[in-house]
Parts: sequence; C-alpha cells; structure tokens
Amino acid sequence: MRSVGIWVLLIAVFCVVYVQVNQPEKEYLNAEKFVERVETGVFDELWFDGDETAATSDSEHVVTRDVLDEDQWQAVTATGIEYRDGKPGVWQSLLFYVVLILVAVVAVVFFLRRMQGGGGGGLGNVFELRRTRAKLLDDGARATFADVGGCVEAKLMLGDVVDFLRHPNRWLDAGARLPRGILLEGPPGCGKTLLARAVAGETDAKFYTVSASEFVEMFVGVGAARVRDTFETAAKNAPAVVFIDELDAVGRRRGSGTGSANDEREHTLNQLLVSLDGFRPNDRVVVIAATNRVDVLDSALLRPGRFDRRVKIDLLTRADREAVLKIHAKEKPLSDEVSLAALADETDGFSGAQLESLLNEAALLAVRRTRLQDDGEKPRITWQDVRAALDPSDSRDRVFDQLDAILVESTTQLAEPTGRAVVRCEYEDGSVVEGEVVWMDASFVKLRRSDGSGLVIAKHQLRRIEPLAGTERATDVRPDAFVGRHPDAL
Amino acid sequence: MEDWFARSLTFVIPLWMSLGVHEWAHAWAAHKLGDDTARLLGRMSLNPFVHLDPVGTVLLPLVGVPFGWAKPVPVEPVRFRRSVPMAWGVLLTAIAGPVSNLVLAAVAVGLLAVLHLGFADFPPYVDAFRALLLVLVPLNVLLAVFNMLPIPPLDGSRVVEGLVSPGWRPTWDRVQSCGPGLLVAVIVLPLLVGVSPLTTVYLGILDGLGDFEAWLGG
Repeated sequence: MRSVGIWVLLIAVFCVVYVQVNQPEKEYLNAEKFVERVETGVFDELWFDGDETAATSDSEHVVTRDVLDEDQWQAVTATGIEYRDGKPGVWQSLLFYVVLILVAVVAVVFFLRRMQGGGGGGLGNVFELRRTRAKLLDDGARATFADVGGCVEAKLMLGDVVDFLRHPNRWLDAGARLPRGILLEGPPGCGKTLLARAVAGETDAKFYTVSASEFVEMFVGVGAARVRDTFETAAKNAPAVVFIDELDAVGRRRGSGTGSANDEREHTLNQLLVSLDGFRPNDRVVVIAATNRVDVLDSALLRPGRFDRRVKIDLLTRADREAVLKIHAKEKPLSDEVSLAALADETDGFSGAQLESLLNEAALLAVRRTRLQDDGEKPRITWQDVRAALDPSDSRDRVFDQLDAILVESTTQLAEPTGRAVVRCEYEDGSVVEGEVVWMDASFVKLRRSDGSGLVIAKHQLRRIEPLAGTERATDVRPDAFVGRHPDAL
Repeated sequence: MEDWFARSLTFVIPLWMSLGVHEWAHAWAAHKLGDDTARLLGRMSLNPFVHLDPVGTVLLPLVGVPFGWAKPVPVEPVRFRRSVPMAWGVLLTAIAGPVSNLVLAAVAVGLLAVLHLGFADFPPYVDAFRALLLVLVPLNVLLAVFNMLPIPPLDGSRVVEGLVSPGWRPTWDRVQSCGPGLLVAVIVLPLLVGVSPLTTVYLGILDGLGDFEAWLGG
C-alpha cells in the first residue's frame, strides 16, 4: 500500500518537474516583432498582467514589455487567440517550487533518521547527555549505622556529618565549618558504599549516588557538564548527600596520563574541584567519595576544603568481624553449635563483603542439604555448612587436611574426623576397601562402609590410605593417585 | 541551479523506480525459494526508498553522474528450501532482477501504447507521463543488459556461477577476484576511446520507440 503511494508520488513529482523543465523558453521581443509573431497564428493564449504581454503555445512563449497600441491590439486579437488575465504558468511554477521544497525536506528527514538509527545517539539526545547520571537513592536501599559492623572511627566521623545534616544550627552557632568532602578509602568490599548508605539512612537528606566513571562519556565536555549538573541538583534539593563511588576514575593525578588523550578526564576533574569549592558555607550538601586507590588521587582533591577528611577503613579486627557476622546472621537460622566468635577467629583478613558472602554461601549449602534429605525439616545452618562455605576449594583438599590431621593425631591418641572423610584403603595384597573414617588410632582404622557396616582394619595391613571426598559421595570424585604415607612411617 | 537539479530529478526518479523493482525482484525470488532474509529485513518492498544507497542512488545521479547502484539485497543460499539446489537458487534470484527490469520495460511500452490509443493530442501532464515512460523503457532494458554482464558484483556473474561446471570453478573464482577492476575497465575503457555502448543502446531504443509511436499514431 505504502509502495503504491510512493510510486504515485514519484510519478507526480516527475510530471511536475518535467512540465516545468520543458516549458518553452521565453523570448523577449519589442511590440512590432511581437505582433508579427502572433499574427502567424501559432499561439493559443494571450496573457496580460499590466506590465507584460505574453503569447504562449505548447512550444513557444513570446513576451513584450512594450505597450501595444490600439491597432496592434486589434491585429493580435484578430487571430482568434484566447485572452487571459495574469502571467502564464504561474501556478505551475508555484507547484514546481512546492515540490522541490518537499523533496528537499523529505531528503533531509530521511538522512537525519538514518544518522540517528546508525549513530546510536542522534541529535535529539545532546542535551540529555549533559544531565547528571546521579540516582536518587530510594528508601529501600538506605541502611543505618547499626547495619555497619566495625568501622568505629569512620562511624564517628560520619556521625558528625549526620548530626550536621540533622541539626545544622548547633554546628553553625559554634562557628564550625564541617568538612564538606569526606573521602572513604579502603580495600574493596570493606563497606565504603554501605557507610555512605548508612549516612543517607540516618538523616532524611536526599542521597544522590553516582559512579565517577559515569561522568566520562565519549563526547568532550559532557563530563564537566554532568559534574555541574550533579552538584546543582544536589544544591537545589539540600540537605543532600552526594556519593561519588570509585572516585579514582576521574580523580587521577593530572598530567600523569598518557599524552593529551585524557584531556576530557582532566576537564571533568577541574570541574569537580571547582564544584567542591562552590558551595556556600551553609549549603547543606555533603560529598562523600569512595576509592580504593587513594595513592593515585590528585593532590588538589585532598586539600582542606575539598576532601579534607580522609577516613581510612582498615581491614576488620576480630571483634569487628564478629560484629559484622552478627549483623549478617541476624536473619539466618543458625544451629546452636555455630559459634560466630570461632568463625571470626578463622576469618582473619576477610572483608565485610566476604563475611556476608560466607554466611550466604553457608545458608545456600544448608538449603541444598535439607532439600536433598527431603524430610520436611526446616534448613538450619550447621557448623558443617559454615566450614564447607569457608573453604570453597575442592572438597578433596579438605579430606587431605583432615586425613593428615587424624593420621598425625592417631599416632598418639584416638582421633576422630570433625567432618565426613571418605577414604580408600589399599591392602598390602592390592585389595581395596572404601568407607567413611569413624576413628583412627595408632594401630587401627574404623571405617563405615556405604552399606552401613563397620569395619576395623589394622593399619599395618595397609599399603596406603587415599582420601576420596568430604561431603560429596565417593563416586562423584575422580580418584587420583595420592601417594599416602605409610602409616608405619608416621 | 534549480534547473540542473530538476533535470537530474527527471532522470533519478525513473532510476529509483527501476532499481526498486530490480531489488524487490531479487527479494521476492529469494522468498519464493525459501530464503526470507531479505523479507525480514524489509527489503521485499517495491518502495524504492528502502533500497536506496545514499551515495550510489542519490548523490551520484543527482550530481549528474550517469552511474549508480542500490543497496544489494542479501541472499542466504543456505536458507533455500531443501528441494532447491543452491546453485540454481542463486541463479534464479540473480536473474530475477534483470528479468523484472525487462518486464517493467514491457509494461512501460504497453502503457505507451495505451496512451496513444487514448489520447490523440497530449495535454501537458499526460505528455510528462509519456516522457517518464520514454525514460523507463530504455533505462530498464539497459539495466537488464548491464546487470547481465558476467562481471562479479553484477547479477550476471551469479548466473554464470550457477552454470559453471565444477571443473572450471577455480578459473572462475580467479576471474571473480578481479571483478571490481574489470567492471571499472568495462565502463571506463569505451569512454576513453570515445565510444559509449550504453548511450548507443539507449539512443537506439529511443529511436525504436519513436518509430513505434509513429506507427501507433499513424
């Protein structure tokens, strides 16, 4: 249907253009010549518009600007030519110009649409690009300081900010200038973002969160414009907190980049510096930035008046870890034997994020375990789940350690594995028996075989003991050669 | 300026129509053989604008270069129906374009005859339509002939490809690899020695049409 319309349109355009192009050319003549030509009788129409007199046929078009006298008029009209008012072909050329303009407009629209389709952005979005990408944090994502385990120093510092946002007058009366920029620095996953969210949760300030990398676009000047827009938006909605994540994306030391390719980033940084300066003293806008590369930041960012307060968030201490674990375990059904204090002991060097992930993993394992048992029991996280989650490496490695431990222990006392340890025992004559280790002492090993029967083997009968699996079934594990120590050698 | 632009339009519009029909025919043939790639891309349409190439079909003809190309319709031989041997499918889709141009030329000749039977004397706009037909006929014959040249980017090469026996295949592939150069040579060389076969054919057909019209009129 559309094609038919376009064909009709094309044919129409062709006809209009063709008619116009093939208009006979105008010949300008004086009065005598004009009359002479008209008297030959080849013309069909006579036109008069006050200034010019014209005679036209399909192939000829003669015009005179002279005024024809009485006799000449009579001679002309005597040929039986048809008389018309106005200029010949006016509406035709009008139509022609309308068509030309239409064609041009259609062509421009056509090409613009193509450009937009291909280029992704298009012209319409230029102004949208300059808008801030900062997102207003909604209430659901807000946290409180109670959600943050450890980080005592940071909480103290941010507590001041919170109080400033809540009761600004208390601080202004004392003539205090609160740091308007706070830089949270620390290793990944230590809770920088969580702390910022807690600030938002503790106050009713608007909380804008933006990642520094969102400032930078492929277009020059966009980064700076976005920084400006971010701060303007925040200032308009004060009291507000602007949280800039991964500040090092734009805050890198100026002039250290590779050549001039990073000019755009420097513009963005300059604008950020200016914007940080720009608040009036009683603007209730606080900027919190987070980075884990404080060493690469431009020194101008760190000077007083900008990010003058640097809060270093260190790795968690044992007590911190316990606090964090408590927070994350709040919602999880833990078995009684799970000791968070013991777990805190074992998780030296873990960050908050890792601790959270650890407990989550344990919960997943607990669900999986109870689902496999399928006895309608509600999943509870046992110590075994926590152990399994703590060591994500192959369960066989755990059996190695376990086996080593009980072999060592068993030389002096009766040793029991803390978890499940499936082993393969190879007799001196080459025959093999597999089973779960129940206990072991200096002389004997007791295995529980898969059919449930127990078996006590004298160690001196065995050539070697090979670990198979921890929590997995023995058949799920590839049996690869373990050069076991001869029990006698222990 | 506007005169020049208008004159270009009177050539470009019939060209667009012809190329539109040509490319539609490729797409339609492929569709009939089971490959709906072109149809899914919206190319199975008589609307010339979906086949336009900004440079080859708009810019060059408008500035008066009597040469152009449309966006080629993609054909995926592997998607043909199983009952269609791929070589034959390629041949048929390739030949559909030139054939469609011949059909369009025939239709234009038919319309010309109708015009002559319907009107003793042509009013200006009927005359313009007649002029359109007078461009369409030789243009389409020319397009059909030119596209059937067995030089690689052109449809004729794919027809040869369908016919070539496996033994000659390597030779043919070698010829194909220098296709674009060959094409330029075929276009440019006659112009250099002062002959323009395309123009000669074009004018010859116009002559024939003149005789045809005279015969109809008389």
